Amino acid sequence: MEAADLERALRPVLGDRLLGVEPFEGTAGRVRFRREGAVDLFRTARDTLLFGHLTMVGGIDWVDHREVVYVLWSDTARQYAILSADVPADDAHIETASAVWPSANWHEREAWELVDISFDHHPDLRHLLTPDGYVFHPLLRSFKLHEPEELEVKSRHV
Amino acid sequence: MSSATLYSVSYALAALILNVIGFIIPPIRAPITNVDVVTVLAVLIFGALLLAASMLNTILLIWWERKLLGRFMDRRGAMHVGFAGLLQNFADGFKLFRKNTFQPAEADTLGFYSGPTAYMVTSMILFGILPISSGWNSGSLPLSLLLALAIFSFAPLFIFVSAWSSNNKYSLMGGMRSAAQMIAYEVPILLAVVSVVILSGSFSLTTIVYEQQNYWFWGPLVVALIVFVAAMLAEMERIPFDLPEAEAELVEGWNTEYGGMLFAFFMLADYLRALVGSILVVLLFLGGWTLPTWVPSAATSFPLAGILWFMLKTYLVFGLFVWVRASLPRVRTDQLLRVGWNRMIPLALLSVFLAAALVTVRCVPVFGCVPSAGA
Amino acid sequence: MSEMWINMGPQHPMTHGLWNLRVKIDGEMVLDVDPEMGYLHRGIEKISEDRHYNEVITLMDRCCYVAGFAWEHLYILAAEQALHIRPPERAEYLRVMSDEFQRIGSHLMWYAAFVQDLGLMSPFLYGMRDRDLVLDLFQAYTGARLTYEYMRVGGVRNDVPPGFTDRARKVLDWLDDRYREYDALCMGSTIFRERCDDLGILKANDCVAHGVTGPMLRAAGVRRDLRKDRPYAVYKQIDFDVAQADAADVTARYLVRMEEMRQSNRILRQVLDWLDHHPGPMMADNLPRWLGAPYAPIGNEGYLLKRSYPKGTGFSAVEEPHGEACAYVVNEGALHPYRVKFRSPVFSNISAARQYLVGYHVADIPPIMGSVDVCVGEVDR
Repeated sequence: MEAADLERALRPVLGDRLLGVEPFEGTAGRVRFRREGAVDLFRTARDTLLFGHLTMVGGIDWVDHREVVYVLWSDTARQYAILSADVPADDAHIETASAVWPSANWHEREAWELVDISFDHHPDLRHLLTPDGYVFHPLLRSFKLHEPEELEVKSRHV
Repeated sequence: MSSATLYSVSYALAALILNVIGFIIPPIRAPITNVDVVTVLAVLIFGALLLAASMLNTILLIWWERKLLGRFMDRRGAMHVGFAGLLQNFADGFKLFRKNTFQPAEADTLGFYSGPTAYMVTSMILFGILPISSGWNSGSLPLSLLLALAIFSFAPLFIFVSAWSSNNKYSLMGGMRSAAQMIAYEVPILLAVVSVVILSGSFSLTTIVYEQQNYWFWGPLVVALIVFVAAMLAEMERIPFDLPEAEAELVEGWNTEYGGMLFAFFMLADYLRALVGSILVVLLFLGGWTLPTWVPSAATSFPLAGILWFMLKTYLVFGLFVWVRASLPRVRTDQLLRVGWNRMIPLALLSVFLAAALVTVRCVPVFGCVPSAGA
Repeated sequence: MSEMWINMGPQHPMTHGLWNLRVKIDGEMVLDVDPEMGYLHRGIEKISEDRHYNEVITLMDRCCYVAGFAWEHLYILAAEQALHIRPPERAEYLRVMSDEFQRIGSHLMWYAAFVQDLGLMSPFLYGMRDRDLVLDLFQAYTGARLTYEYMRVGGVRNDVPPGFTDRARKVLDWLDDRYREYDALCMGSTIFRERCDDLGILKANDCVAHGVTGPMLRAAGVRRDLRKDRPYAVYKQIDFDVAQADAADVTARYLVRMEEMRQSNRILRQVLDWLDHHPGPMMADNLPRWLGAPYAPIGNEGYLLKRSYPKGTGFSAVEEPHGEACAYVVNEGALHPYRVKFRSPVFSNISAARQYLVGYHVADIPPIMGSVDVCVGEVDR
């Protein structure tokens, strides 16, 4: 599967919500899309393009926006594909992928707490790696490593 | 075999001590060398000797297990304290002894302390009942076997008391498992013993041993032996039946909350019970302190020969338990209970019938004839 | 007993690390589970943003403390793609050798821990004993037994010492015999089969839906191994089979891992033969000098430095002993990576815990979690 194949399959479904598919070494391609097209893209990717595995979800904090990166794997094509959507930093949210791939659940919890990207309709958006009540988002660029912060953390179960 | 019994030795010792005291302080000589006083002191000395012997053997047993287990696991076991690590357990015991005794904040104090104590004490009483050799007359009670098994079956009660009073969910689960398991395996043990009783015609352990002069009972009663050993493993809570303290899921089960000397009580009592279990196997099935008649009499006539042979057999039997522990995984509660009720009890019943048939037929082709007392 | 929640962890023999499995039980039955992670979160991804490319390797060893090489390899592949560097062939062979020895070491560690969960005490020590031989080999060519810092962006640090390959072959011969012994101790034991058969079943479609990979997925009958499906390094030149079983239970996972160790032996013999006959350089030529820059600017200012080196994004995936690990490295033309994201296989495997734990006994939790092969270091990162 090539980037052009992905584009051909996705363009009719997504229309202008698909920003483009660029080649990416070692994968089928990198699909850039608007977050409004998330649900349609996920369903098409799983059901039509047969990307059965959601391998990971990660967030990147750029200077002016945030990017959500999804990595998919197809057992039939034996290839990875990368999906990426830009979300504005002051309104960082996107539809959850966990309705399509249950494996997205924990990855999205992690992205939510570390990169501060909210996932709409997520079944269980709790802290995963950081304690409950932790107000920082460590993987944002604004979180500096060398300035200690004090924080009172409550136990999850009393 | 020596003719002096342990009690006569204690009595002589008591008389000697009191006479020496009387010799030093003449005015009290007459009252303290009274027969009653000497008897009381003799009983105390007797108890102290028994206690020392049982503790020493228990600690030696732990050493034996550690060395044997070490060899099974391709390592050496305890090596550094004393010769070949013989004193390692004393060092460990001393360490536990020095530790602070504490209890969880929400624990029930009475149960928390009385549980391990009672467990320890009942296990020690057991040791007083069992005959070790012909001179060890503490076992010559007419119903000593029944008494030993009765005391042996106290354990689940005390385990459950200490588990419940620790106020810990793991302890509670361990206590429940322990109670269920011990009760389930009480029955096959008793049934296996019944076949021995049928064959020997006596509840006295000493008599049972003497009944094995012609042949040891393991031959005709091999089914009962297998049932007895397996059920004993469950009673002793050793692998593969150590689920009440399965460290993988229950973090030591019913003794999770115990530390220091209270833990040492559990540990010691466990090994005391393991020792008693091995001793019972030797007494009931392996001829106790006797040797087969074809063994030259030189092997049995020197002083303390009976005790020597008895301990040898006991440690070999315990070695078998260690071997099992080194090579088998743990079973699950439901599997354990299923095996107990569905396999052990029918097998034990079968061996009861076998024993009854043997007594009726009187003579066994290979092993010789059952003595008349068995009828 | 009524229903209650118990905490299996964070300090519990079952966890093999530092995490908490909350279990809702009714008597001996498991009604619900809720894994809680994060007790070992060290912020490796964040710290990586503050380090030179080669300095991140140190963190990778700590990522999974029983499979350091696999994680080094994972990161190196992504970083090389992001930096447009190609390693020499001998370095790739050495990486594969390290990977496969690491797989054996990790699986032996798993074996030891897994049988210990079942109460088998001797094989625990056998597994640890034999793992030590593998660690001795690591020590012989990296100087370290656990945290190797051996691979470099653009190659590996050093060659193996003289006589190493013969020594390694001896270890492989020894291990071949031991695998038979392990099988006799486990598959030959009725109690082991009673405990493990039909336990912790996770069928193939559930595995795929929940992102479960590695031996768990292969035990469910899916023939998926990145070394075959998406060959990285030199796996294309090497002849081996993908271990697979169909029962999807604990026994199947046991069989798959055992077979993987045998296959690793097979791979290693080929790699060692190749190493004997093909001397060559350890590092790529023309590496950018700043890869080994002696100083590290404090704070995150590093990424603002403008250099004339091309930007790039690297993505790599390797078949780690626990499953499929991925790395995503963003190079914005700075001394440090802009963003590093890792995908840990155990992370996903644990996230499906509810699927394979509910409905079994409390006593089944340790063997099932043992068959998952938890390494908390890479889950929490």
